[in-house]
Amino acid sequence: MGEVYGQLLGLLENLGQKRIAVFHLLGVEIRFDVTTIVMSWVVIALLVLLALWLRRSLRQPIEEKPNRVQAALDALIDLLKSQLSGNFSSERLATLMFPFISTLFLYVLLSNWLGVLPYLTSPTQDLNVTFGLALLVFVLSQVLAVRFKGFRRYLGRFLEPYAFMLPINVVGEIAKPLSHSFRLFGNILAGTILVTVVMVKFIPIIVPPVLSIFFGLFFGGIQAFVFAILAVAYINVAVEE
Amino acid sequence: MLQDAQNVVSGISGADIATAAKYIAAGLCMGIGAIGSAIGEGLAAAHALDGMARQPEMQGALLRTMVLGQAITETTGIYSLLIAIVLLFVI
Repeated sequence: MGEVYGQLLGLLENLGQKRIAVFHLLGVEIRFDVTTIVMSWVVIALLVLLALWLRRSLRQPIEEKPNRVQAALDALIDLLKSQLSGNFSSERLATLMFPFISTLFLYVLLSNWLGVLPYLTSPTQDLNVTFGLALLVFVLSQVLAVRFKGFRRYLGRFLEPYAFMLPINVVGEIAKPLSHSFRLFGNILAGTILVTVVMVKFIPIIVPPVLSIFFGLFFGGIQAFVFAILAVAYINVAVEE
Repeated sequence: MLQDAQNVVSGISGADIATAAKYIAAGLCMGIGAIGSAIGEGLAAAHALDGMARQPEMQGALLRTMVLGQAITETTGIYSLLIAIVLLFVI
């Protein structure tokens, strides 16, 4: 047992203040940021537990008066529907994409808010997480575009308005996931750095928690909303006729 | 006095100048880079406010569009922040 633990510790490398796990697989070095992975698991576990708890309180006959949890859940779903799903260009796309967009929003929101608690860090202050999410949206929008418009018209969109614009269109498409991920990552990282600098260099009491709440809760909420809305906008642009 | 100044100057190594240049560059990058996105976001908020004052019933849609536009405008500021971070901590 102790041997295994020692081997696990041997995998961990301290890089700066980060804990990096290094694996060697078929001669390729693979690096993981352990903090980010564990914090992502915390967010996932919180979301799953929340969903299970909400589902348990839904088990009742339809005629019965809705209890408080159900009323709160209804309000949440209504809010998500009106704010996020209302921006889709067609009703069909909205019903198809509502679960994905809401999940994306809730995941990013909870990730941003996790950084407010002491000893926890936001997984979204790691570029790998936000870039993964942005890549997910990018691939999904391309697949949806092919599915909705057909392959021929999907390719034809890159030649508009003129054929020589092809490189510009391709670069514009690739820039989307980059700016999408950098925006979330930069905002969350800037908040964390500011709070840390104030705490370490200037005033260690009272001010850092207030700043942390402001940046974590307020900016985290806005950025999660913006991330989801931009995902909606990118999918809309890719699918539009 | 001139001798003192010469002594101070000869004590400065190339690494010191590089470090100083790094900090100055990071500060300039963040300061100048923030101007554009700040003006852009202010313009977006001002015009959204105009629209809301004219048509209060459109407030929800205007607010949503304003936040979206500001987020896109903010991207240039975020890029300069990333470059400042790279200058400070990586290079």
